Amino acid sequence: MGATRKHVVIDPATGKIDRRIFSDQAVYDDEMERIFGRAWLMIGHESLLPAPDDYFHTYMGEDPIILTRDGGGRLHALLNMCRHRGNRVVRCDDGNANRFMCTYHGWTYRNDGALDHVPGKSEAYYDALDRASLGLVEARVETYAGIVFATWAKDGPSLEAYLGDARWYLDTVFNRRDGGMQALGPMKWLEPANWKVMVDNCSDNYHVPTTHLSSARVQSKYLGRPRLSHKDQFESPNRHAFVNGHSITFRDADDNVPRYVHGVSSETFQLFQDYHDATMPEVERRLGTLRARRVQLGNHSIFPNGILGLRLALPRGPRQTEFWHFVLVDREAPEAIKHIIRVGSQANNGAAGMFEQDDVDNWRQVTAASASRHGRRYPQDLSMGLGHAGPHPEYPGLVSERYISENNQRLFYQRWEEFMNAESWADIPLDPIKARFDGTATMRG
Amino acid sequence: MKKKRARARTRPAARPAARPPAISPAQALWLELMPFYIREAWLLDDRRLSEWLDLFTDDVLYFMPRRKNVPRREAHRELTPLGDLAILEEDKRYLEMRVARLDTGMAWAEDPPSRTRHLVGNLEVTPLARGEVQARTAFLVYRSHLETDHQILSGCRDDVLRKVQGAWKIARRTIVLDANVLLDKNLSVFL
Repeated sequence: MGATRKHVVIDPATGKIDRRIFSDQAVYDDEMERIFGRAWLMIGHESLLPAPDDYFHTYMGEDPIILTRDGGGRLHALLNMCRHRGNRVVRCDDGNANRFMCTYHGWTYRNDGALDHVPGKSEAYYDALDRASLGLVEARVETYAGIVFATWAKDGPSLEAYLGDARWYLDTVFNRRDGGMQALGPMKWLEPANWKVMVDNCSDNYHVPTTHLSSARVQSKYLGRPRLSHKDQFESPNRHAFVNGHSITFRDADDNVPRYVHGVSSETFQLFQDYHDATMPEVERRLGTLRARRVQLGNHSIFPNGILGLRLALPRGPRQTEFWHFVLVDREAPEAIKHIIRVGSQANNGAAGMFEQDDVDNWRQVTAASASRHGRRYPQDLSMGLGHAGPHPEYPGLVSERYISENNQRLFYQRWEEFMNAESWADIPLDPIKARFDGTATMRG
Repeated sequence: MKKKRARARTRPAARPAARPPAISPAQALWLELMPFYIREAWLLDDRRLSEWLDLFTDDVLYFMPRRKNVPRREAHRELTPLGDLAILEEDKRYLEMRVARLDTGMAWAEDPPSRTRHLVGNLEVTPLARGEVQARTAFLVYRSHLETDHQILSGCRDDVLRKVQGAWKIARRTIVLDANVLLDKNLSVFL
């Protein structure tokens, strides 16, 4: 089972990583057990199943999960596998139902997972079937600001401890308004790349002026988008921070400018500025002055496979990943703002997104190189900014001196090693929560 | 040709030429629009994208909803409505940006470019109010990219056409792909 295999893939002193981790089947199999079998995994958002008996079909790694809200409003993450033979009991993407019937033999489950009905309970099973032990397999579920997470680990920490001080940054988007956020989506597509390549890319702002220049350039011309160049990136006030396993980038500037989102134009910028100003007293009350006025979450990844907000990189084998793209909008934002964010999101992210479509061939070729007989002898070089990151007096986590750095990526692979080499959750280190969470926002919203 | 004429001369007493069969206005419209779609397909496959953009009105909505797995009895939920997250929800300006992007030489998803073949058929035309026309077509688009990447995109288009200065233009296009999880690495070709 690989219980004794030690995964040593990164040399922290040089930033060299063994590229075989992007295509090796045995490594992948261990990841499914040791990372996706243990970590808190982002699986959805409460707004996708607002009413009693709503459900939303999702995945924990490769495992199909029915995320349900039972008649009493409680969330359940249920493995979509009939306990008799293993057929799926749900084949739809979402809906409203209080029972799920297996289409093979008719075993029927309640939406809290209990096995409710078995045809021939007496006639075929002689009343000997222990229905109580044959409910749908259930994972632990917790939420943060409406985002739903689940884990298979019974011995794991709380979601609050798992997110730790990363929440200090995440709050600036996901916990910003009293009314919370609303998820739209997902758009789903397959990418021929290893899941870690896109996760690690979340902190890779070095690629943006090269990979995405065509999109940025036309959007500067047509929409008045801020210019994008290497110089702008190198001189950016943004920062890189690795916090309790999670990769964060954030803008550190006290200039009262709304967070940049895809889709905003010079014509609509004022709308966003007005919204920013009008909601600032509420945001300050919720997050405290420092976070409300100085800190804006940028690209980020929640370990292991959350990508830029509520977007998922679902592993489908070492060389394939199913991407799920959602967009989150403030529920109480004006419709005009929701519209611009939604349209800007589909125009730039997702399978057809102008920005995102240019990423894929890079990622697939990085993945393919790791399977090259000759190429895989040569490690990847993640040495950028080595020795230029550390604790910061104000900001949680290990913060890089400069925005363009590979500090988060190096630490991501070290976190990966911690999970891969641990025998149980007791072996996986968690940083204590030390940040000051000024304001009224909590895990619950 | 020569032979035909010769034969005609040798048969001066042939029956008077049959009147061309009467075409209904609906058939005439169909005959007018089918070449429009054939031309569009060639513009796309020949990568004449600025000419392709001219086929759209300035107020076009180019829309590709997501397509969900829902029970047959809930078919009304299969396509996501406007206002939900779509795969594409573009106005003319966004379409122009997409085309302009390709001209920068740095739109890596399409540089080197895909080899495409748009096969468009099953045209069904329905006149609407105010001189507009609904035109539904089905398509199979083959895409070959780089060395061995290849995809077939199957779907239909539901267009609203309007005449602008005597020429048909697409005022609204809804593209419905026959897919739930897209199997393609990206969707960087126009449909």
